Amino acid sequence: MAERPVLRLPDPVLKRVADRVSAVGDDERALARDLVDTMRVSPACVGIAAPQIGVSIRAFCMDVTGHKKADSCHGEVVLFNPEIVLARAAEVAREGCMSVPDLTGNVPRATEVVVRGLDPSGSVRVIEANAFEARALLHEIDHLEGLLFLDRVTSLTTDVFRRQTYEGQPKRRR
Amino acid sequence: MSEFAAWVTGLDRPGIIAAISGVLFDQGCNLEDCSMTILSGHFAMTLLATGPDEVTAGALEVALRGAVEPLGLTVAVRDVEERPEEEVEGATFMVAVYGADRPGIVHRISQTLAERGVNITDLNTRVIGDPGEPVYAMQLEVTVPASVDAEELSAALHDVGAELGVDTSIHAVEADVL
Repeated sequence: MAERPVLRLPDPVLKRVADRVSAVGDDERALARDLVDTMRVSPACVGIAAPQIGVSIRAFCMDVTGHKKADSCHGEVVLFNPEIVLARAAEVAREGCMSVPDLTGNVPRATEVVVRGLDPSGSVRVIEANAFEARALLHEIDHLEGLLFLDRVTSLTTDVFRRQTYEGQPKRRR
Repeated sequence: MSEFAAWVTGLDRPGIIAAISGVLFDQGCNLEDCSMTILSGHFAMTLLATGPDEVTAGALEVALRGAVEPLGLTVAVRDVEERPEEEVEGATFMVAVYGADRPGIVHRISQTLAERGVNITDLNTRVIGDPGEPVYAMQLEVTVPASVDAEELSAALHDVGAELGVDTSIHAVEADVL
């Protein structure tokens, strides 16, 4: 159980389609703890997908508790083999990603989603989310497909921006 | 290693960027940040490149000119001096301005921002609509220092807009790390 370094572009693991788990066992539960520990280290971070810590497996953790844009909130969530059952309505908002230094982007995403997966006990869990929690879920699931927010923007000129400082993160200079 | 800034403008046509990047590659230069767009049919490109010490801005300009002047383009290259960035710390906002076209819109709006220490980090303007009744549309990304009251800024932009006969709006853009 430990915090792990977050991979950044151009690490190839980030662009790989992650593998499904055949069952949730002790190894998967250890991965879940590492994901949560890594997420907790960065105050502004609300989710981490397994490929971001170098594990090409379909798993992520998320927690939007206390986020001002959140409406639905399921607290700390860890899902394996997540599937989007429903996604509807769309909204554009500015996203950043721990794996994409220096840039943020305007990304359209569904605002209402239903996602089904396995929790760390191996039970099926269905999460119905909206607003910011829906965005976070879709962002993390994208990581499992090898997609970054840069793959979702429509224009580098009007949709991608140099990043300002985030709370708790030092400014990075070239 | 030396660093250059280059500007290329002229009537647009296919093959311009291939020609420019070909020269940079041949000179052992590496293209860094670059922005290119088409402004009413005119190609406009600004780029930063690094290169070996023996390549000078003058030599690079001559080489680029040889490649792009046959395409009807103008080019200028200058050395970029290393110096610390003068960066404004603050929150990101988008400002939208649109209305009937008339002289002075960009100046009055940017003056209103400059007076408050607000830094423009991105600016796009377009003249749209019928030629007989052109509409000016401007979108700015700005950094507003913490010392500036966003409501006062919004009111000031609104007042300037009213004088110019254009609509203005400003909204905060917060990026969330996911």
